Amino acid sequence: MSKTSKSARLGRRGFLAGAAAAATFTILKPSLVRGTEANSKIALGLIGCGGRGSWIADLFVKHGGYQLVSCGDYFADRAQGVGKKHKLDAAHCHTGLSNYKKVLADKVDAVAIISPPYFRPAQAAAAVEAGKHVYAAKPIAIDVPGCANIGESGKKAAAKKLVFLVDFQTRATPFYQEAVKRVQNGDIGRLVNGTSDCCYGFIFGKDLPADAEGRLRKWGMDKVLSGDIIVEQNIHTLDVDTWIIDAAPLAAVGTGGRKLRKGDDVIFDYFNLVFEYPDGVAVSFHSRQFGDGPDGINNVMFATQGAIETHYGGQVRLYGRAPYPGGKTPNIYEDGAVANIATFADSIKAGKVDNATVPLSVRSNLTAILGRTAAYTGKKVTWDEMIKANEKLVRNLDGAKD
Amino acid sequence: MNQRQRALRVGLAVILAGAACLAWGCNRDAPDAQPTTKPAAAPTTGPATSPALTTGAASSMPAHPGAGAIMVNSIGMKLIYVPPGEFRMGSDPSEPGRHDDETAHDVKITLGFWIAATEVTQAQWVKVMSINRSEPKGDNLPANKLSWPQAVDFCRKLSQAEGRAYRLPTEAQWEYACRSGSTGAFSGGTADEVAWHMDDSDGTPHAVAGKKPNAWGLYDMHGNVAEWCRDFYQRDLGSAPAVDPAAPAEGGARIVRGGSWDNFARACRGAARASFNPAYPLDRVGLRVIIEPESPNPSQNP
Repeated sequence: MSKTSKSARLGRRGFLAGAAAAATFTILKPSLVRGTEANSKIALGLIGCGGRGSWIADLFVKHGGYQLVSCGDYFADRAQGVGKKHKLDAAHCHTGLSNYKKVLADKVDAVAIISPPYFRPAQAAAAVEAGKHVYAAKPIAIDVPGCANIGESGKKAAAKKLVFLVDFQTRATPFYQEAVKRVQNGDIGRLVNGTSDCCYGFIFGKDLPADAEGRLRKWGMDKVLSGDIIVEQNIHTLDVDTWIIDAAPLAAVGTGGRKLRKGDDVIFDYFNLVFEYPDGVAVSFHSRQFGDGPDGINNVMFATQGAIETHYGGQVRLYGRAPYPGGKTPNIYEDGAVANIATFADSIKAGKVDNATVPLSVRSNLTAILGRTAAYTGKKVTWDEMIKANEKLVRNLDGAKD
Repeated sequence: MNQRQRALRVGLAVILAGAACLAWGCNRDAPDAQPTTKPAAAPTTGPATSPALTTGAASSMPAHPGAGAIMVNSIGMKLIYVPPGEFRMGSDPSEPGRHDDETAHDVKITLGFWIAATEVTQAQWVKVMSINRSEPKGDNLPANKLSWPQAVDFCRKLSQAEGRAYRLPTEAQWEYACRSGSTGAFSGGTADEVAWHMDDSDGTPHAVAGKKPNAWGLYDMHGNVAEWCRDFYQRDLGSAPAVDPAAPAEGGARIVRGGSWDNFARACRGAARASFNPAYPLDRVGLRVIIEPESPNPSQNP
């Protein structure tokens, strides 16, 4: 039995595109490939060496197009942990609140910002100012001014020919991409209403230390450092809502609270909200981050001629007159990050700086903040009221080292 | 040769309108301009109005017709000649409604081809395929509820009857013809001027050629029914220049272009790329055929 060669399977377009792409790198202007040469690796700095930071550092290295040359974290043990694994000398493992400034001062082309969300806007702005490409974890901010700041950084990055990519795994997953495109094209008709949820157990625990360093280590328990569960985790599902509907909500109303955790500064256990979108589209949303039960990130939207159903890690499909069977996404957590890491490298090499993920991420981040504000106040809050209030959240970190 | 094939062979008309100067010639700087030479015969999209027919098939078609040449085939289908050229495939990131599988890149089409001025009508479909499952019914309504293999079978049977290579267009050929020298989201006018889409179709397909044509005289490239193309769907077409890009050799879904009466206008943009399971016969999907007179391998896949 004959075997089909890889080049044959690629087809003519694949072959031509590949050949042309290889040639393209040699004619790009230096300004479009800042800090990189056709065959050299992207020098990467990692800002934030906690659980996800150290995990994603491995994926960047595994990609093959990056060389990790610098890292930073408030805590020495975390920075040195990444440094030791990737054979960085101590001079390139930075600590303290200003660790990111030292990373930016190293010879890096790009930074991956995986620090607590509270710090991301300032760190991203500094990175763009320093002429570095930015790969940012979600959420990109914990308040309205922070979102505005990130939006501006995305634009400044584009003006400086820098790539700014926000890492949402769903947006890099083909079944999600295809299903959402079909909905936006009208394959299930006009959207009517839907549900979305994001439910997990105690991801960060129950208790929040009182001192600054304790809070920095358990930042996920601090409602300001993390943005609360609706911004820090539930944004996964709220981002899919805004992606499917392709709009920001007009208002939100609902509730939330603590039954298991104690303390004003600690995150909520749950949120239950209704989001009102343009054209009368309504979404019921709920989340929890405690206990046991069915976990997951799920979205269902009903429309005049069908429905879309998405499960993070599970099935994605459309129902109706033009059905789309989609498929399952069992490795989305890693596959999505891997895809985004590859896109980041490709964009840097190609000088592709439309930075399209930034405004979409700002939109879903503000959606989460809108829901949080409604739950905190117990009142219906409109998008315009939220933007006008421009509330900034501040956490006193006296006692932490610079 | 059965009776229908004989009828098809006999019923060939080639009406050349001469070397009309379209977007590649004197109108290159006016991409939205209408053809300067009118067709020698009125469009004939229904069986009742078939033009005067001549005998013979390929021999009646010149090897290198002029841009904008027009012919009417044995089933009354009007086709327009599109000469080789280059265009920018995909959409600019700033285009409203775009999706991120539309990365803009330069494409060169090295072979000229004939393309039907309209979507295949139900009357034309019946002449070749006998059975019409379209909904709603109507001679001049576009054929629909046909799978990709059935669309290919239509091309095969028509090719056999006329002795020439009818094909579904590649998506690059389709977009080249749709753009007809233009660069925006819609070619030949606004969405409402050129397309039957969800917000102006009243929930049904319409008789072909009911909206404005594009600069090359092609109707309903946007909206009405979406059109099967030859290619498998490949999400990332890349930003590198390509020459006569063709489908990957393997794949799942087949490309559908142009959007339909049941899609939002954004899905009817010239750069919008859709795909469906080739086995699905959908009431929003039909076809438009091309002939590749200069193809060195006319027996290649559909």
